[in-house]
Amino acid sequence: MKHLGYLPLAIAVSIAAAACHSIEEFDNGLQGNFDALWTTLDQHYCFFEEKGVDWDSVYREYKPRVNDTMDVFAYFDVCADMLDELRDGHVNLSSSFKTSYYRKWWSDYPQNYDERLIQEHYFNFEYSQAGGLTYGMLADSTIGYIRYPSFSYGIGEGTLDLIFYQMRDCLGLVIDIRDNGGGSLTNVETLVSRFIDRRILAGAISHKNGPAHNDFSEPYKFFYEPNYEHVRWLRPISVLTNRSTFSAANNFTGIMKTLPMVTIVGATTGGGSGMPFSSEIPCGWAVRMSGSRLYDPLGHETETGIEPTEGYAVDLDPEAEANGIDNMLETAIEAIYRFYDSDSDTEG
Amino acid sequence: MKLKKTILGAVAALSAGLGAFAQNEAVLRPVTSVYTVEAGSSYLCDTYMTPLKYGGWQMALGYERWQAMRFDPENWVMNLGGRLSVDRTLNPARNAVMWGLDLRLDWAMMRRFDIASVPGLTLAAGGQTTLNGGVLYLNRNSNNPASAKAAWTVGVTGQATYSLTLGRLPVVLGYRPSLPLLGCFFSPDYDELYYEIYLGNHSGLAHVAWPGSFFRFDQLLSADLRFGATALRVGYRCNILSTKASNIVSRQISHCISLGISGEWLPVDRGGKLSDEARIISAYY
Repeated sequence: MKHLGYLPLAIAVSIAAAACHSIEEFDNGLQGNFDALWTTLDQHYCFFEEKGVDWDSVYREYKPRVNDTMDVFAYFDVCADMLDELRDGHVNLSSSFKTSYYRKWWSDYPQNYDERLIQEHYFNFEYSQAGGLTYGMLADSTIGYIRYPSFSYGIGEGTLDLIFYQMRDCLGLVIDIRDNGGGSLTNVETLVSRFIDRRILAGAISHKNGPAHNDFSEPYKFFYEPNYEHVRWLRPISVLTNRSTFSAANNFTGIMKTLPMVTIVGATTGGGSGMPFSSEIPCGWAVRMSGSRLYDPLGHETETGIEPTEGYAVDLDPEAEANGIDNMLETAIEAIYRFYDSDSDTEG
Repeated sequence: MKLKKTILGAVAALSAGLGAFAQNEAVLRPVTSVYTVEAGSSYLCDTYMTPLKYGGWQMALGYERWQAMRFDPENWVMNLGGRLSVDRTLNPARNAVMWGLDLRLDWAMMRRFDIASVPGLTLAAGGQTTLNGGVLYLNRNSNNPASAKAAWTVGVTGQATYSLTLGRLPVVLGYRPSLPLLGCFFSPDYDELYYEIYLGNHSGLAHVAWPGSFFRFDQLLSADLRFGATALRVGYRCNILSTKASNIVSRQISHCISLGISGEWLPVDRGGKLSDEARIISAYY
């Protein structure tokens, strides 16, 4: 029984140990919320080093702009401007009246995509749609065309089977992911698994494992398996990209670029290889930021974008566009034909 | 020394197999079952999802089963418990909702001591093991909307009961604290997304639970108003859980009013009759 006398001591020690579980708190005023926002990014954002951002100096620059007499809209803009210093499309501040976006990652570049141009001049509006996919046949039905505008749209396995079946006589396939701003990485896997005939290295992921700027886990490699249970497409593919090809679409591009039958055609993608992580500040505004680094299969950081395959960088020509021609799409088709030409040259 | 002897005796009894100790046929060990509904306030915080403290309500269903141990019914009792709770909480700005769901199972064995100097007072102390799993869910978050919870712990627990009568109504007052001391629990790494875990990175997810990393202190104050073989339970439960792993701090604190009913089940012999000479040893009352 006398040992039970130690129980209160054990409980006291336990309570003292648990008291170390502190959570940093900020007041709900303008200064406190600014500090909470800055601290959240300071502890969770993953690209300070890559982007050469001195976050402490950003604090010194922006904190004086906050004063207790400013209205909430001006205050929001100061916070948003501070986040823009990160030059990251995955960083947002969301309030009930506004969500901040850094847009220069795409707005400083040509758009290189005109949806109606293809719908009207290549399909005469007779294209097919299924789920999130728009598709049809081009060039006398020798080339299949699939437009996937967002990786947020689920892809039905049966839908893909039937699309590939309809394209069974085509020489190649154009996958148009221009203006695809990303979405779910599981949809990337669903799609890529149709284009591979063996297990492939699909990339690596490294997350922040502590609040310091250089606290990162060892990159964890992940692999994709071929989808043997469904129709797979192993003929030449051109992937059409522009600067607005971002996030999961950027990741898809990076994986596809390593496949031997694939040509990346168009413009450098918008990047966005950071996996978004969310938090919030005392006033209830939500914060989103890049929290994990995603590497392409070659181990490259792709936050600033992925270049097209050498020799296939092309912008949309306004003159051709005026004549009903998408010269980027034409280049993508040409890449598929060239694949056969080079094949026969090799055989010859 | 006496306590040590008692513990050694209990361990020997268990290791030899409970069946080896034939139950004294003159002893009946009624099962006390308690079914409760609980409601009260809840405070949740999980820095994996947000540094803000959320406040709201908790509702729970609980079950307890008490029985004297076969090998030494006079002195040892066991308790089996289960609790399913749901929390709904709001952030300080009241523009985001965090849900909590938790299922826990406890098993405890306690040595009890009648305090001769205070008639009606019984104290018990022993060990408890707990298995629990659940999730906190914050729907405003994109890739980190949930924080899964799972833990297995062993620790100490106690029970104090005091029997009295209010007028002609027998009442049993109870106090039950429990404190895990060792075990393991699940936590992702600091900013590790569940997508990475889904991809197969399972390293560093299990953590040693000790009060410095996993502090849980549960307390129940109860009053059982006995009406024959059944009783009405009125109680107050305070559950505190604070964990820290991989620089993630998670807190779940609830204060609940507990209402329930309890009943005692008497086992009978194979002939379906109670032995006239049977001695009844209740684990709780």
